[in-house]
Amino acid sequence: MNDDRRADAQLADRIRIGDTEALGELYDRYAGTATATALRVVGSREEAEDVVHDAFVAVWRKIDRFDAERGALRAWLMTVVRNRAIDRVRARRVSIDVDDADERSLLRTGPNPTMEDALSRASAADLRAAMASLPDDQRRALELAYFEGYTYREVADLTGVPAGTANGRLRLALGKLREALTGTTAAPLHFVDASLRKDLSR
Amino acid sequence: MTIQLDIDCQTFDEVAPAYGLGAAEGREIDAIEQHLDFCTEPHDEARELIAAASLIPATLEPAVPSAALRGRLMATIAETPQEHRSTAVSPGRRTAVIEPMTTPRRPWWQFGAMPSAVAAVGLAAAVGLGAWGITLNGQLSDRDAALRAVASADAAYVAEGDAGRGWVIQNGNEALFLADGLAELAAGQLYELWLMDAAGNPVAVGTLDNTDGVAVVTLEQDLDDAATFAVTVETERVDRPTSDPVMVAALGA
Repeated sequence: MNDDRRADAQLADRIRIGDTEALGELYDRYAGTATATALRVVGSREEAEDVVHDAFVAVWRKIDRFDAERGALRAWLMTVVRNRAIDRVRARRVSIDVDDADERSLLRTGPNPTMEDALSRASAADLRAAMASLPDDQRRALELAYFEGYTYREVADLTGVPAGTANGRLRLALGKLREALTGTTAAPLHFVDASLRKDLSR
Repeated sequence: MTIQLDIDCQTFDEVAPAYGLGAAEGREIDAIEQHLDFCTEPHDEARELIAAASLIPATLEPAVPSAALRGRLMATIAETPQEHRSTAVSPGRRTAVIEPMTTPRRPWWQFGAMPSAVAAVGLAAAVGLGAWGITLNGQLSDRDAALRAVASADAAYVAEGDAGRGWVIQNGNEALFLADGLAELAAGQLYELWLMDAAGNPVAVGTLDNTDGVAVVTLEQDLDDAATFAVTVETERVDRPTSDPVMVAALGA
């Protein structure tokens, strides 16, 4: 466990026993990134601050479900922020159950020491450069999925490509972000729409 | 037992990145999470790609929230119960009740297992491993300081029961009991603190009669060899408990 994650785990322990000051420290550490994420999704500063507020309250309420051995507090918090922000913009389409999404995020956000270590070494400039270096179609697919809350099939419809192509773009985009941090190249893509549908319909 | 996975490994690898981005769909999500939980293959690359999605917020320039947001958040959480603690301690003060032991049943501390009423809350909840951040004596008078002490102790165990909630903490050779908002005692009563070994032999390790604010008691021995911590209500310090426990913590021994 790297230093950042260990510090976060200690904050989680303090929050778990009701230490409000620890929640304040967590806020001080991540409010800037959380607000940027919410703002990118909802587009309004006032709404973004509501999202950030609600996300930190959710972490406060649900902290006992967080297990530092299974994930990173930062990653969970950011996913909770993203879920709540997406829920706001999706109100125009279909609402998601944010409580259920919080639970699922615990699984989705960890554990992965390789990426956590890479993130702790990377600068914000490295990450922004990695994002900027993505081909337009991959960056657009990633933004539609992550910041606008579309599924990969919806991304496919919006961009006029097959679902397999949209999914492949997401995979390549994430692979390049990973590559930028770890120097690892993603394996070739094998995605076949038909096989997925067949497996899922069993 | 073999779990029948809903999708094969290749399909999992293909859809996992979309899942990491929150861009998979209902049945796919269930199938991916089942695969994450039960597949025996490591799927290192897919797991790294899922984790890579958590890097995306860090690609944005931080946005400074308004100064008022922090205060608003802190005011909200001060009034917001945590899920795991919402039934543990109510804001109002309670009064501890002595329930005299009825003979000839065996005393509670000699049972192999805890009485059911307290066993549910007696499971050890060790929290906070790290450096001891503060000098304990005389500096735990406020709640936040006490909570910091719990969080930074070598080991801390939650003690719960009808009298409220507290912590037994150990750092080095020193052990303390901390509680906030213990149930009020009737006139002439005190709380007596006990450590018991695995065989159930009780040793009195302190008393407490002031329940205002944060209670801090330095235990008269450390937690070595202790399997259980308990609190009873007595009318004077005694060598053996005369009533059922009002708080219990299972310790690490």
